[in-house]
Amino acid sequence: MITRRHSLALPTALVALGGSPALVALGGSPAIAALGGSPALVALSGSPALAAIRPLAIVMNSGGASCSVIDMTTKQIVDTLTTYREPSHWCLSPDRTRLYVCDASGNALFIFDPLTAAPLGHVRMADPYQLAFTPDRKYLVVNALRLNHVDIYDATTLALVKRFAPGAMPSHLDISPDSRWSFNSCQGSDTLASFDLATMTTRWVVPVGRTPAGVLWHNGKILVCLMGRAEIAVVDPQTGAVERRVQAGAGAHNLFLTQDRQTLYVSNRLGGSLMALDPQTLAIRRTYVIPGGPDDIGIAPDGHIWIALRFAEAVAVLNPTTGDYSTIPVGRSPHGLFLNTELTKQGKLTAEIL
Amino acid sequence: MDRFFSIIAGYIDQYAILPVLYRCGWMQWSDLSFDWALVCVYGLFAVLATYAICWPLEAAFPVERWPDKKAVAVDVLYTLLSRVGIIPVVSFLLFYQVQTAFSGALVDAGFIPPDLESLIPGLFGHPVVTFLIYALILDGADYWRHRLSHRFRAWYALHALHHAQRQMSFWSDDRNHILDDLISFAWFFVVGLAIGIPPLQFPLLILLLRFMESLSHANIKLSFGPAEYVLVSPRFHRRHHAMRAAGRRSCNYGAVFSVWDILFHTADFTNAYFPTGDARAPEAMASGGYVAQQLAGARLFLRALTQTRPRPQP
Repeated sequence: MITRRHSLALPTALVALGGSPALVALGGSPAIAALGGSPALVALSGSPALAAIRPLAIVMNSGGASCSVIDMTTKQIVDTLTTYREPSHWCLSPDRTRLYVCDASGNALFIFDPLTAAPLGHVRMADPYQLAFTPDRKYLVVNALRLNHVDIYDATTLALVKRFAPGAMPSHLDISPDSRWSFNSCQGSDTLASFDLATMTTRWVVPVGRTPAGVLWHNGKILVCLMGRAEIAVVDPQTGAVERRVQAGAGAHNLFLTQDRQTLYVSNRLGGSLMALDPQTLAIRRTYVIPGGPDDIGIAPDGHIWIALRFAEAVAVLNPTTGDYSTIPVGRSPHGLFLNTELTKQGKLTAEIL
Repeated sequence: MDRFFSIIAGYIDQYAILPVLYRCGWMQWSDLSFDWALVCVYGLFAVLATYAICWPLEAAFPVERWPDKKAVAVDVLYTLLSRVGIIPVVSFLLFYQVQTAFSGALVDAGFIPPDLESLIPGLFGHPVVTFLIYALILDGADYWRHRLSHRFRAWYALHALHHAQRQMSFWSDDRNHILDDLISFAWFFVVGLAIGIPPLQFPLLILLLRFMESLSHANIKLSFGPAEYVLVSPRFHRRHHAMRAAGRRSCNYGAVFSVWDILFHTADFTNAYFPTGDARAPEAMASGGYVAQQLAGARLFLRALTQTRPRPQP
């Protein structure tokens, strides 16, 4: 195992405003093709450097102020990336050339090369915990859990555009496909808030149940995991009305839709399980018992599911067919999980939507 | 070893803390409950390790031999309350909202609270060095908190509880009035706003510093020789707890590093082991139980607040 800690590679301002020159210099290569070749990646023209790119999992260790980089083939940690305090969640830049990692109590947004995990700098930002770019690439929506803010930044300059204070502990979020509405769970006030990003106004703040966490726009509805229950609330995005509640595991935490839209996974923090749901009926198809506080997940090209286990200081790699899984020790309190193989997939990329 | 503790904390969190949070509707704290469990596990380990090291040394090289150790027993309770997590968790809950409101107001005003790495960018990527600088600065802040607690009569009325112990041992470090503990938390809260919260990914280093604080109170004839000009030894700190050093004119205020006493001219390297205690403190503070000590401290504190006459100096 090789463990190396990086210092800054590029001036922060350059990276914050300009993207990764190194990555832009890279280009479409057999390695990219092997990863599935998204148009964005293929547009990066041929470079021998990409031949060396390997499938990597980047795990955000919230309690260890670091990110573990795992070679997905050998399942060995090949690098450890330093952050300030508390890396939590991630998203990709709209052009997919930068991986943004939140460092909430470090008041910083760290930037990595999503293909190589090379550090590209960081920018100061107040308490970023969870974030997503709007599909139209205009805004970056950031939940500041500790400070009870939802901050809207300009996607290009990262200048603050608007700050909302919708309730206590905004945790997870999703954005409507037309980029108009943001939906943000407030786990400290048991509410879901929605903002109109065109007018920068609050649409509604509604109670949805105990400790709402993961949020997902799905089939024209908003699904909200209720960590204080064993339920998912199905919310009308127009009115905020809770239309129904469906069964999940105790401490339902976060939702993940597979690329082929055939399975909806929900991680259950207290129940220590991952559930596969029918994405149409939301009925439970199968439950995988995975103790250790399952949190974010990623799905590898081979179909295996990578799961961050908060209390076990490990990442589980689950074979969803057999239900067997192995674990890879990582840093303390692994939280967000990014697989660079997901770069090949279409659509916006956050932890919630694969 | 770090992983071993985390796994134990994980079990405690998953099977003891989280079910309670879930039933009580407090799952919004589930991101932090693992940290609380970890604090308790490390605290318990620290108590056991300190006992395993200091008890044989106190038995072999005692400064004083006592006919009984009744007064020490209550210090054990203080230690468990403080180190096995109860007081830190309660304090965290008390201060979390304050910190949130204050930090939020700063951020609203366009100011992101700094930390050392943002103030000194060269530190980023060197977490151990960063941690040690934090430790030194926080120890300096603690030096002034401690020194001021001796300077102000009402504050010393609370701190006298710590000094009242005549059977000072490695258990005595956490023997504090609860209001004195709250002042300490507030103090470090303000310091944290100025320089940020130290990185907490090195719990074993934190435990080592806490061990040094326990060791400095131990009933052991032990000096660190030349290293005493850097680190606080039992002999050095005992001088601070000496009967005649109690009150306003004390010395050797440092908790871990003696450099602050040297820098601010309060160091006393006298090679002697004095009896400890505060002759002017109520007897209940010295030999009472936990509640009696806390009540005596509160009474003394209120009296000091309402009296205008300065307290006679020794």
